[in-house]
Amino acid sequence: MDVGNIYLIIAAGLLVFSVFKSKEKTKKALIVAGKSALTVVPVLVVVFLLMGLISAFLSKELIGQVLGDKSGLPGILISEVLGSIALIVPAAVFPFTGMLHEKGASYPIIFAFIMTAILIGISTIPAEIKFFGARFTIVRNVLTFVFIFALSILFGMLIA
Amino acid sequence: MKKILKEAVIYLVIAAVIVLAVALFIPAKTENVLSVAWNALLGAIKIMVSVFIFIGLLQVWVSTEKLSALLGKEAGWKRFVLSSMIPIFIGGSLFTIFPMLKTLKDKGASYAALFAFITAWSGKGPLIPLEIHFLGLKFSILRILLIVPFAVIMGLLGEFIMEVLDKRDASA
Repeated sequence: MDVGNIYLIIAAGLLVFSVFKSKEKTKKALIVAGKSALTVVPVLVVVFLLMGLISAFLSKELIGQVLGDKSGLPGILISEVLGSIALIVPAAVFPFTGMLHEKGASYPIIFAFIMTAILIGISTIPAEIKFFGARFTIVRNVLTFVFIFALSILFGMLIA
Repeated sequence: MKKILKEAVIYLVIAAVIVLAVALFIPAKTENVLSVAWNALLGAIKIMVSVFIFIGLLQVWVSTEKLSALLGKEAGWKRFVLSSMIPIFIGGSLFTIFPMLKTLKDKGASYAALFAFITAWSGKGPLIPLEIHFLGLKFSILRILLIVPFAVIMGLLGEFIMEVLDKRDASA
């Protein structure tokens, strides 16, 4: 059975359960769902087109060379920097990196990109400073960056 | 809502520009590009619909108030363990969890709990079906398993550094 169908059945089951508990809340949940779809789907359309472009114009060899196992530790660092500055919604990170992996990008590189894209963002830093102060923001972002580097290497070893 | 619509339109315009540019300048590759994009979209559509429903239900049924009560009442290490695990399964963006954590901090949550919470939140629970679809089950499980110790260490080390810096300021 298609995995997508299983998820749909689970989602439908939860929705039915939710309706029984509260119609009001379920309505709100569907509005939230619609809003996140509206936020994410247009971005995904662009990401999927970029995937098409990359797969049509960049060879597996080239991506493997730049983002593959041979790119080593500098490759992880570059991936982290890109993840930190990429203005990409988390929902789009997974399809994008999945395609890069299919094309030859290594696991540590992909892990580094995903984690920095989620946890570090030049767009969230001003908000973080406003809420928690500059010191907290610097400590968190620097520590996160350093740990993701180490975790990427560990991830690569464990998944192999 | 207006902002969401505006951004949606901007992205769709970008998409249209990409398609037009490809069709104009490299017509031979157009079909190739579009079919990759179309197949990726088709393959993920059921999962995306489910994920949106998960996000909606989660936001409505697991309110931030409930979560902060859970994290705020438990004492010491228990709170810390919760901070390192529960956030894995909630969604939202950093912009939505920052204000919530600020409230927790004002109520007395430790630095360790804050660092651990933000780090553990990178699990992005509601998106896991998408992650498995594009990167595989093994990838997803290993990533989530690594996040727990990552959150614990971030919490402990982050708090240690903050306290050292705060003390230095206090004595200066």
